[in-house]
Amino acid sequence: MELSITGANAITYPVMHVWDWRVAVYLFLGGMSGGLMSMSAINYIRSKKGPVDSACSWQIPVMAPIILAIGLFFLNLDLSRPFHAFWFYLAFKPVSPMSWGAWLVLAIFPLMILYALSALPNAVKAKIKHAGLRGFADKMQPHLLKLAKANFLAGILLAIYTGILLSSLVARPLWNSAILPILFLCSGMSAGAAVMIMVAKTKETKLFFTKVDIWLIIAELTILLLFFYGHYTGDAAHRQAIMPFFSTSHDFFPYFLSIVIIGVALPLAIVLKFLEVTGEHTDELTASGLMLMNASAVLVLIGSAIIRFAMVYAGQLSGYGGYM
Amino acid sequence: MPRYVMVIDQSRCIGCMACVAACKRENNVPMEHFRTRVVEMVRGEFPQLRTEMRSELCNHCDHAPCVSICPTGASHKQKDGTVQINRKKCVGCKACIAACPYDVRYIHPEHGWADKCSFCQHRLKEGKEPACVATCIGRSRMFGDLDDPNSEVSHLLRENSWRVLKPEVGTQPHVYYINQFPRKS
Repeated sequence: MELSITGANAITYPVMHVWDWRVAVYLFLGGMSGGLMSMSAINYIRSKKGPVDSACSWQIPVMAPIILAIGLFFLNLDLSRPFHAFWFYLAFKPVSPMSWGAWLVLAIFPLMILYALSALPNAVKAKIKHAGLRGFADKMQPHLLKLAKANFLAGILLAIYTGILLSSLVARPLWNSAILPILFLCSGMSAGAAVMIMVAKTKETKLFFTKVDIWLIIAELTILLLFFYGHYTGDAAHRQAIMPFFSTSHDFFPYFLSIVIIGVALPLAIVLKFLEVTGEHTDELTASGLMLMNASAVLVLIGSAIIRFAMVYAGQLSGYGGYM
Repeated sequence: MPRYVMVIDQSRCIGCMACVAACKRENNVPMEHFRTRVVEMVRGEFPQLRTEMRSELCNHCDHAPCVSICPTGASHKQKDGTVQINRKKCVGCKACIAACPYDVRYIHPEHGWADKCSFCQHRLKEGKEPACVATCIGRSRMFGDLDDPNSEVSHLLRENSWRVLKPEVGTQPHVYYINQFPRKS
């Protein structure tokens, strides 16, 4: 068939390209921030049974809102009218995941900041010059456990909603899957656990989150397989939508490469983590042991970022029927 | 309240592109951007070829994904069945462009808001037809009120075999195509 179009817009022809790396970075950082909220909360909630890592107990709650803010900065860069962003908060659209997201972030930010303030140890609080803020942090300290529980739930919501946003777009078959939000949730939680492992100071905390991350990566890979299987057994548009990931042609090489990297990085991370968990450890981790732990955490972060980038870009290639 | 629809008789399109030009002029559509397009498809193998001309524009869907996804209410459905954009409320998030299965939206390069065909709303208020319909020399594009059984569009849709684009997406479009060629069921 020979096709000629008079009046095509460059933004949608020959394929749509409305969202770029800025949105992918936001999805990655937003998911990771959600993962950090939930993982740091787990670190507190489990403290009745085991010791709490001093580094994780306050640094992670402080990091989470900063990471989310960086992500939102990139998202704002993507808006073509960023100075009109206040309109997000002059409407609530119950059927628009983007509207939920805007309100969710507004609700979550104060919760994150309260949690971070309540988690600050006295030595750190003493360095705060603003007396009012220091006093407020003192007042928040008794509510730490309650805030940790609220952050655990809020982290799940934050990590899952970015996937819901993409999955609600019926016009883009790659994204239009109920499994995508669960994939993003798992990936965000796994990235959060990876950062916990890197930041934690004690061997016990590192090994605990290594075990958690093993299960999260297994879940992530299973969901990813189910995601592709669901598309493969779906209608023609869904089947076509996953084709870039399994085509070795020049045009789709980055997508093929992304699957190869994910297929190597995440299983390799599982193996490294399994060796860490089952291996003999001295009281203090050796330099090589630490390096191995950090390497596996970096592999998880790479896998998590690639999933976001690949989904954002490949989803825009997919559609119903094209111009046939 | 009327329910505006457009009926496009593909067999009457001569591919003059006057609709594309009239739309650009009427709506001050920026350079290299379009609210309507004409797709020309040549199928078959020489010498057995056939050409199909198809005008495309915003389908003003009943179940418009662009309206559902819009976080600020900028994209909205009006009582007359058309989908319009309140430019003041648009933040330029581009979710509506991603949500549209017909790929008919773009971002205004100067102002940053999402833009698309409005069925020439300003002309409708004056009792005129959309510019593309008024200029269509072959009477390929027709416009009217589907709730009026005596309107030309109601008559055409009763008398002819028609289809909508991408019915599998479930958007219930308001742009109907009278089939140029018999279609296999």
